[in-house]
Order: sequence, then structure tokens, then C-alpha cells
Amino acid sequence: MPPVNGQWRSLKELADDPDFLARAADEFPDLSDALASAPDRRSAIKLISAAIATSGLGGCDWAPWGTLIPAVKIAPNIVPGLPNVYATAHLFDGYAAGITVKHFMGRPIKVEGNPLHPASLGATDPFAQAEVLNFYDPDRAWAITEHDVPVTYQRLQEALLAERTKITESRGAGFRILTGTITSPAVAAQLDAVLSTYPEARWTRWEPVSRANISEGAILAYGQPGEMIPKAGAADVILAIESDLLSSAPGHVRIARDFASRRNPVRTEKMSRVYAIEPVPTLVGAVADHRFIAGPSELRQAVNALAAGILGTPPSSGAPPWVPEIIADLRANRGAALVHAGPDQPPEIHALVFAINEALGGRGRTFELIAPVAHSTPGREISLTGLARELHDGKVSTLLILDSNPVYTAPGSLDFAAALKRTKFSLALTLLPSETGHVAQWAVPMAHSWEEWSDARAYDGTATILQPQALPLYNGISMLTMLALFIDAAPPPALDIVKSSWQSRLGPNFDGAWHDILANGIVPNSASPPANISLRSGAERNAISEIAPQPLSVLFRPDPHLWDGRYANNSWLQELPRPFTKLTWDNPLLIAPERAQDLKVGNGDMVRLSIGETGVTAPAWIMPGQAADTIVALLGFGREHTGLVANGTGFNFYPLTGREGAISLQKAEGHMELASTDHHHLIFGGTGDYARHGTLADFRRDPRLLSATGQVPHLYHWKLAGPAQWGMSVDLNACIGCNACIVACMSENNTPVVGKDEVIQEREMHWLRIDRNYEGSPDHPDIYFQPVLCMHCEQAPCEQVCPVGATVHDQEGLNVQIYNRCIGTRFCSNNCPYKVRRFNFFGYANKEQRPSEARNPDVTVRGRGVMEKCTYCIQRIAEARIAADRENRPVGEVRTACQAACPTQAFTFGNLVDSGSEVVQRKASPLDYALLAGQGTYPRTTYEGRITNPNPAIAGGKE
Amino acid sequence: MTDVPFSEGLFPEDNRHEPIRPRAGDPVVLPGPTMGSMTDQICANALRRRAFLWWYILIAPFVLGTAILIAAITWLFYAGIGIWGVSWPVMWGYALIGYVWWIAIASGGTFISALFYLCAVEWRASLNRLAETMTLFAAACAGIYPILHLGRPWLFYWLFPYWNVMTIWPQFRSPLLWDFFAIFTYVTTSIFFWYFGLIPDFASMRDRATSRGKQTFYGVLALGFRGSERQWRHYHPTYGIMAAIMAPLVVSVHSIVGLDFAGGATLGWHETQFPPFFVFGALLSGFAMVLLWAIPLRRLLGLESYITGHHLDVLCKLLLVSSICIGYSYMMEAFMAFYSGDEADKINFMAKVSGSSLAWIYWSTIAFNVTLPQLLWFRRCRLNQTLVFIVSLLVIFGMWCERYTIVVMSLRRSHLPSAWGTFVPTIWDWATLWGTVGLFASGVLIAIRFVPAISMAEMRGLIQSREKEEQRA
Repeated sequence: MPPVNGQWRSLKELADDPDFLARAADEFPDLSDALASAPDRRSAIKLISAAIATSGLGGCDWAPWGTLIPAVKIAPNIVPGLPNVYATAHLFDGYAAGITVKHFMGRPIKVEGNPLHPASLGATDPFAQAEVLNFYDPDRAWAITEHDVPVTYQRLQEALLAERTKITESRGAGFRILTGTITSPAVAAQLDAVLSTYPEARWTRWEPVSRANISEGAILAYGQPGEMIPKAGAADVILAIESDLLSSAPGHVRIARDFASRRNPVRTEKMSRVYAIEPVPTLVGAVADHRFIAGPSELRQAVNALAAGILGTPPSSGAPPWVPEIIADLRANRGAALVHAGPDQPPEIHALVFAINEALGGRGRTFELIAPVAHSTPGREISLTGLARELHDGKVSTLLILDSNPVYTAPGSLDFAAALKRTKFSLALTLLPSETGHVAQWAVPMAHSWEEWSDARAYDGTATILQPQALPLYNGISMLTMLALFIDAAPPPALDIVKSSWQSRLGPNFDGAWHDILANGIVPNSASPPANISLRSGAERNAISEIAPQPLSVLFRPDPHLWDGRYANNSWLQELPRPFTKLTWDNPLLIAPERAQDLKVGNGDMVRLSIGETGVTAPAWIMPGQAADTIVALLGFGREHTGLVANGTGFNFYPLTGREGAISLQKAEGHMELASTDHHHLIFGGTGDYARHGTLADFRRDPRLLSATGQVPHLYHWKLAGPAQWGMSVDLNACIGCNACIVACMSENNTPVVGKDEVIQEREMHWLRIDRNYEGSPDHPDIYFQPVLCMHCEQAPCEQVCPVGATVHDQEGLNVQIYNRCIGTRFCSNNCPYKVRRFNFFGYANKEQRPSEARNPDVTVRGRGVMEKCTYCIQRIAEARIAADRENRPVGEVRTACQAACPTQAFTFGNLVDSGSEVVQRKASPLDYALLAGQGTYPRTTYEGRITNPNPAIAGGKE
Repeated sequence: MTDVPFSEGLFPEDNRHEPIRPRAGDPVVLPGPTMGSMTDQICANALRRRAFLWWYILIAPFVLGTAILIAAITWLFYAGIGIWGVSWPVMWGYALIGYVWWIAIASGGTFISALFYLCAVEWRASLNRLAETMTLFAAACAGIYPILHLGRPWLFYWLFPYWNVMTIWPQFRSPLLWDFFAIFTYVTTSIFFWYFGLIPDFASMRDRATSRGKQTFYGVLALGFRGSERQWRHYHPTYGIMAAIMAPLVVSVHSIVGLDFAGGATLGWHETQFPPFFVFGALLSGFAMVLLWAIPLRRLLGLESYITGHHLDVLCKLLLVSSICIGYSYMMEAFMAFYSGDEADKINFMAKVSGSSLAWIYWSTIAFNVTLPQLLWFRRCRLNQTLVFIVSLLVIFGMWCERYTIVVMSLRRSHLPSAWGTFVPTIWDWATLWGTVGLFASGVLIAIRFVPAISMAEMRGLIQSREKEEQRA
């Protein structure tokens, strides 16, 4: 293993280093004499200047270890200018979703989903799309540090040797390992090996955004652990209880695809009906046919009533009036009903939900149970609370923290930072500098998952080998190697460890099988079989204890895009407008409109939230559709010791977690400007014409009800002639507002990030935005998402007003923007009814802290003073056109970046001349309509209006 | 070395008396000045070695403003258009407001000197030089804005239909291109017209200049004009032809500025009435600006005999007429917002007039451009210099508000509520705005320091005919 860096600790060390002296002697003969002589005052000063002069040299020494051969012969399969694609997986909370990474000359530039992988089916979530930026992050940890001072790898090895000796003697007593969820068989094997080497060692498996409630619920219900695989495509009725089914549950990308397959009545025989019960809007709630707002106590009542209705448990008092109709609907759809509860619900609710699902007969149809995918070692684990107690008690001598940041994320009540300082040896393996790395004795840079071999399993157990995508940028150490270092001073390479864990399972033709696995990105037939477990008798009778209604409860939720804070240094995710608030760069406390009225606060007014003695002052944000008795504190912001992007952005609410005491929310002094891309005041009603919608019943009566208001007549019609005419259809029934498309677009099209101040100035550069329209009262609005991107109007208003002809139509119906010709009059944007054009008020791309290698070389990086907009991924069209020309065939399928990333296939893009293309079929849908049809723009992008399927027995469903 | 005083006193010597108030029934030229004394007086103003003290006091803040403008432009070119408050969706801001505002102000001079020349209106002779000078510098201020406004200003010449190896032409359907031609034509012809009118006066100055340097300076500018009959015979028809070209240009340039907006499909802009609407607005602010200069300068330069109650009266009546015309346009704009039946148009209009903290801008427009000038129905008001000065100033402000309403308030509320936004001007917006005010005023002040403030050649004609009438009487 090479030294992580060439840094030195003292001038003396530098002077004594024979290697350095030899090099210096070659280059500066006088200087080496000076360095070799005994230091006096004068030569000390000389040394200092020499040190300053040569300190940069050490930094140059970053080439990978070993012999370098210049690329006289290019590596096989690499053609300069053409991309290569390699499969791997993206890990989210330990769970894998297959991705493919596009490379140019060995540089990863774009993530796509792996169509062969069951958790992806070709789509991704925003996190996976943004992984490119994590990989190239210039703030990544690059040096092994001891007490925040960079040291050599040898120094770490010495320390580890001493540590190994010590814990071998103590048989691991006082040796603790803290990790997140592990699904990787190789890491699990390595961890087990460490645990068996040190019998007294203990492992803490902990995620800040925990799914432990669900597994505990499964144990309550089944008596043994099990994991639920929802099959939303098979469910006619879905009841989502503050569910993360579409946003972050393991497999959510795949589940969203299944879910959406039942939401467009034009393409599905039977449209599903979705109920959501939740205190705050979730993605499922936004697309549900009925969304019921229930605070924590009302929610428990509802679940109890549900259990009473379905399981026959004693009825509860004070159940909300809408529960009986839901029960009736669920019962009427036995075998085709699915109930799903989110990870924030207590284990008892999950136990009941498991029982209800079993009672509704959905097992094997609407859901499946498998053995847990996440690794566990019963008997050898302690909880985080237990670990913290041990730390405080001084019982832990050695603590190994792998890719976890407890100093920042652990419940505030545990005071983990103080606890951590009590160990003699603590080592944190972190991708980015972190709060934990800052406090721990040792911080070791972790290899990015694109830099080292590993493996992981998906939500259904399917395994993927994670192959490195590039040479390590920062000489990090992988989690596998770090664990191995606790057994052996010179562990085998990670590839060997991974291979050895698969050797037995792949059979005799290992090399062939291994090649296929790497090429396809999945290990065939590795999905977990259904678990043969059944409900404990009487499990269904565990009615949950009801809680008295509290005037206020604080809900700690992960930020939708920064998650628990691990993505806080990713500027794409920071600037990604949150699905409901459209906020970027900040995490104000979300409060209900009613609460805001009581407190007399508006958006951005400071409030103080305290729980017991602890309090945080932060701005407030009014969230329509939130339960009045709840406050939502989003976690993941307010980082302190990490990269430049994250440091000091937003507010850290972790110190409030795990606390008990009276909750109070008071108005505080001051106001803070927040960067929301939604600049208008809330408007309710009147959105019907933008995001058109109707009910299933109305649709049955008149399928064309949403396309009734058509385009205005026009004399000049664009003729759909020639080999290709491009067009897009966006299915509003499918859009769940997850934002994967926006990040995909930024990644594909080199769209710059502008920063908080510029977002406040309304200068964000996203080519694609998702409009969130509210309808109804602020307390309980209906929510309609609508992606808006360049419509590529056939009668484009932008083209007529450009004085220099910088935006024109091409023969394939694309509205193209010629950056080189643009002089920046901005008239095109004024004239665009959809306002999808973005202007480089400054040279945003220049200011980005992003290596140029990370950009898509097929797309021009736009300079200052130039207008830009969605091009329908013209570079992908060009690629397809070239391929078609070479093969002498008509131009084939083109997938835009947004379309490829979309989990629900809301976007369809293609050739309007090709009558067999999917886009032609979708445009023939009776729901097809043009946004702002009255403007006479004849847009090439059209929408399929949203149809909802409310239960006629319940008033107040979405219409 | 002779001791040269800093200034030559506060006022011209022959003006150190009680001010002559404008009175009803004043003739175009008050009795008193002869052709000779008038020429002496006007030339002396321009030829004296040191300016008057008031001139220094007055120009100081405006020169500072010009310096600020230079700083603002330098920073703009260095840092980029982002230093302004323009944003999404309000992509146009103070640059476009300022441009339209200044070009409208410029109209007054051309209208008075060209159109009234063709109509053979006597009183224009006292005002045309002042008005044209004002036009020149207002047009200069207007002319720089479109370049500053560009995202990549160094490429402004791409608007020219020049021959290039790529054989790329400008896009002729764009109103911005028409605008470019209109402004270019207007500014160049304004310069020529102003200069051509000055040639006989430069000749007089050359003849009266005492120092060699001034003789050369004015001599070169006079282009060898000696006042021969043959020269006058060519001069008059040429001037007439130029006036005949200029007069319709006033209408065309403002119509095209109107089309800059009406040509877009943007809410609040897409109205057929915009071309005449902008001509009305231009005349209103043009007359107001002429009054704004004429009232103080008649005292400061001792021109009270030549700019009389008659002029104030006529200019105020013109101001009143254009104010009524523009009032009609405002009414039609409001009417069409509702008559068109477009819901978004209605929302857009209602957002301008109510419900927002910026509604006062719309109502200032109405108050200052339509309501306030109604005072000028009364002769006593028309002859009250202070009142007319204040009304003119407020009309100029009101016209700026009108442009703010059109440019910013329209863009803030487009068809899709998700694309609604706000506009907050930055310090650089203000610096550029006040900078152009500085450029304009210091330019006019410098011009009247060195060129005759009244067209002496034409004034001699007026005085001559008056003298003849007196002799006949």
C-alpha cells in the first residue's frame, strides 16, 4: 500500500529523509548540502525557506504507485471521443440499485440506471445521478490525519500494529465497530472475520435515518426478522401511512415504476386507488387519490380503527370518519390490497400493518417477505445508545467508525462528541472530512465506491459486484481493506477479497461467470427466495397504545435530497428544489398554515424550537397540507467540518433529536431570506388549465375531457416530414415529483449550479423544473406535479424576436439555441410563455468548483451572457443520427437524460414520423394536451392530463 | 500671467436685474433687442473665457454622475450583467426602462425643431437650439443602454447587416433589429440636423471670436459659411429637406420602440396600440424636458427676451394635449386587459394596479402623466414658472414609472404562476440610471457653454420682421 501522501511532520524529518535528500541532491546540489549539515540559526532559516520552496514537490508525488507506462497503445475498447459504459451499483443506506457509468477516456461523467437490475430497471433516483459530483468532489478527504494533522500511511500502520497487539491480548474487549447498514457479502464476511478474530468485540449497526422500526415490527409480527418487498404493480388499492414507498424505501425506484404502471387509465386495465394518511406531504401523498392529514395521535387512532375493522381487534374510540370507507375498500379488494407504513412509524404500527397485509391476503401478490438483506450478527451487536454509554463509561478502548458520522448525526441526547473523546484509539473512515473525523483521533480517507472493488445487495437480495470506475483520485482506503487491516498488516487487494467471497457460489467456470456479472451488473439468480415465515399467533391483537393528542410534536425527517447529511457537500443536491417547498440550500422548520397564523410568522421569519432545555433558532416555512400539530425539522444541514459547499449551510437539528421535554415553538427576532425557486405567493385554484386533471368517472364518461381545450387554429402548419421529427409526451399521471430528471439533466448537459444568493435572485439554471401546483385550501390542498421543460414549439415565439438569429428551428423540429451566436438580449426569454429559458447572468460554469473532466464532453459549457435551455438532449440525437448513418438505417430510439432517469417513465421521447414509436402512441392518448394551448405555439412537448381515482363514497377526494 | 478669475460672476452682466416674468400675450420676442444686440449677447455667452458661477455649481453633480456612469459601465463590462437586478423571469430591467425613457425625452427637440419648422411656426426659433441639444444628449444616453443591456456587449456589432465570411445576417423579423436601425438612423440624423442648423451661427462666432484658437475652432466648424446669398439659397432648402426627413422619424422611432414590446407575445406588451401609445409618451416627456431646461435657462443665460410667456404658454398646451392622448392610451390598456378575455392578462393587469407593494408605481404614472398636467388648462398655471417646472419634473418621473410598469411589472406575472417572480434593482442599476442623468445634463450644459443657446440666424429673421412691422406701424 502506498503512502497516502508525501507530507512531513517536522523539518527534521524532512532533512533526514534519505529519499528526499537524494532527490534534492539531483536537483539542487547546494541545498542538499545545507540540509545534511547540522542545523544552526542561519541554516534553520534556510531550511524554512527550502521547506516552503519545496513543499509543493511532495504534493506533486500523487501518481498511482507502481510503474507507469505512457499510453502509447490505448487500452482496449477505448476509442477517443466515444464513451464506454461500465456497470456497477449505487448504494443508498447500504441497499444497492444497479447503475451504469458512462466514461470518456476513462473519466466517469454520467450515471444511468441499469435496465437489467431489478431495483433500477434503467432508472435512478436523484442521489445516484448526483454521484458523479460526489466522486469528483474537490473537498474529499485526501490525507490520513491524526488529531487533524496529516500523517503518513506508515504512521497509521504503526498505530494499527500497536492496536492489533492490544486488542488481540484483550480478545477484543473494548473493541467496537460502528457502521451503517451493510448488505455487501464481502464486507459482511470481512466484518464477521474481524468479529471472530476478536471474540469480545462488538458491532454497532446504525443509520441516522433508521429503518429499525420496520424490522422490529417484523419481529413483533412474525417472531423473526423479515423484509417486505412491496409489489405496487399488483395492488388495486394501496394505503400508504406516511410512506416512503416512492421516495426512499429500499427499491423505491423500482417500486415507483410498478406503482405508476397502474396510474394511467389509458394504459392500464384497472387503475389503482391510493389512500395516504400522513402528517406531512410525501411523494405518495401527493399522487394519492385521497390524502388524509393526521397528526401522530390521530394517525394512531386511524391505524387502530383499521386494525379493528380488518383484524377484529377491539375498536378504538375517536377514529377519524374516513377510516370505515378505507376499510371497506381494502376488504373489497382482498388479495389486491397493500398497506405500507413508513420507517418513522413505531414498531407496533408496523407489526399491525404486517398483520393487516396478511389478513388482506396480499402475500405473494401485492407483497413478498424475504429474509433481511441487511447483514446482522445476532449476539454480537450493541445499539448506538449502548455504545454511547460504554464510551461515556470509558469501557471502549478502540473504536472503528466506518463511513458513519455519529458526532454529527447521533441523537443529541447521547452527546457523542464527548463520548468519542474518551476512547484511547478512535478511527473514522470518511469519504469527506467530517465532524467525526474531526473529533476522532484518526481520520482516514475512504475510497469512493467507484474507486475500489466491492459488492452489495439490492432490496430483493439481488447482488451486484461494484467494480471500480476510475483510478483512485485521493488514495482512499476502502471499507473492506480497513476491516482487513484489523486482521492483517498487509491485507490482500480488495478484488481478491471480493472474488474469494464469490468463488464458491459461481461454480467451476468462475472467470466466465465473473465477466458476465461485471458486464451485466447483476449476479444472476441471487435474489432472495420468499421467506417461509408466518404470523405469530395473536400478533394481530397487539393494538397499539394510543397517545393523548399533544399540542405540538416535532417530526425529524431526513432532507429529501441531502438525506441524513451525507450529500450535504453535493451542490447539485443542495440546489435541487425540494419537491414541495421548492427550497434550495436551506432547511427551515416546516409548519402548518394554521400554526403560522397563530404565531404570526411568514416564510423566513425566525422561530425558536426548543425541546426541554435544548433549542435551535431557525427560519420557518409554511407547508400547506401539514398537520397543524406538527413541526417538521429536516436533518442533514448545518454541517461544520466537511466540504466548502456544506459547511454552514442551513441548520443542524440533530442536537434536538432523542431529547425529552416540553416542546415549544416561539417567534424569534429576525428574518432570513430563503432560496425557493417558487417565487409566487401560494395561489389556490385556477391551476386547472396548467396541470389538467379529472376523475376516472369523468374520464369514463368522456375520455377526451382534458384535451377539449385545444390549440388555436393556425395558417402555417409544420409538416411532419423527413427522416425524423422529434417530440415528447409527459405523463402527469406518472410524475411523482422525485427530481431525478433534474439532476440527470444537470449532469448530462453541464448545467451549472449558481449558489444560494443567485437562487434568491431567481437565477437558477435548471433546464427542467417541476412545477408544484396546489389546489384547494392551504390547510388541505391537492398537489399536482408538472415537469416543465422547453416545449420546442413549432411556432416558437422565442425565435422571432432574436435579432441575431441565435435561436432557430432545425429541419427535425428542434428549437435549437446557438450559444456562439447569442449576444444576450434576453428577448427570447421574455417571449417564452413557458419561461423555460435560462440566462448566464455571470459565468456560472467558470465559478463551479468542478473539474472539467467531470463534464460531458459532448455538450458545450456555456459562458457568461449566453441564453440556454433544454435541447431535447441534442447530443444524444446527434449520436443516434451518426449511428443510423453509419448503419444506413433510419434514425432509431433516442432517450433523453430526463427520460432515462425517470423511475416512472413519465417522459417519452421519440420520432413523430415513426408511427410505431411510443411517443406517437402516447400523443394519441385521449388525455394529450398542450400547455398554454391558447398561445398558438404548437409545442412538441405535450402532456397527458392527470386522472385520479377517488372513492365515490368519500367526499373531498382529488378531482 | 494675467489673473483670470475662476468665473465671470453668477449671471451675464446684462441680466443682473429683476427677472422678467412671463406674461399672457407676450410676443415671441420682447421689444428691446436688436439684431446686433441679440447677436452680441448670444455670442458673448459662448465666447467668454470663463463660465458663470452658476454653470460650475450646476454641472458639478452631473459630472460626478458621469464619472459614476463610467465606473458602473466599467464594472458591468468586467463582472457581467448579473450585477444588475435583472433575473428570471424579469429579464429586462433598468437598461430597457432607461433606454425607452431617454429616447422618449429625445423626441421633444426633434418634434419642435423639425415639425414646427415645416409648419412655419415662428416661436420655434427661440427654442429649437435648446431642444435639439437636449435631443442629442438624450439620444446618446438612450443609445448606450441597448449595448450595456447585452449579455455579451462586445458582440453588439452583430446587429449590423455587415458582410462577413459566414454570410450570417441579422434576423429581420425581430423588433430589436428594427429598433437598432431606427435608433441608429435617429441618432445620426439628429446629430446632422443639429449641426447643420448651427453652421450659420458658427460662422457668426468665428467672426466675433477674438482669440486665434477660437477663431480656428469655430472657423472649422462653420465649414466656410460666409453668409453669401448663394450659400443661403442652398442652405434653406437643405434645412427644409432635413426637417422633412426628421419629422416622420420622430413618429417612426417611437413606433418601433413600441413594437419592441408589442412584437413580443408577452402579457402586457402584446397590444396593437403600443406604437401610437409610445409616440404620445415620447411627446409628453419631450415637451416636459424642454420646459425643464427652458425655464431656468431663460433666466440664467439672460434669454428672457427670447423665451417669453408665449413660449411657456404654447409648450404647456402641447404638454396638456399629449397628456390627454396618453391618458386615452392608459384607459385603452386597462380596457383591453378585460376585453381580451385572457385570464392571465387580467391577472397581469390587476397585479400592476393593486394587491402588490409596487402598485404605487402604476398610480404614480396616472397621477403624474394624466392628472397633474390637467392644471395646465388654466393660464395662470401655465405662466407660473415654478409650477410648470414642478409639473414637468413630475411628468418626467411619471414617464419613468410608466416604463417601469411596462417592462418590469408585465414580466413579473406571466402565463404560468410557477414562472412568476420579482425584480429588485441593485446599486448598479441606480448608478447607471443616475449616471445617464449626469451624462445628459453635463452634456447639455457643456454644449450651451460653447455653442449659441439660441439659433441666432433664425432669431435675426424674427427680429428683422418685428422691426419692419414696427417701422410700418
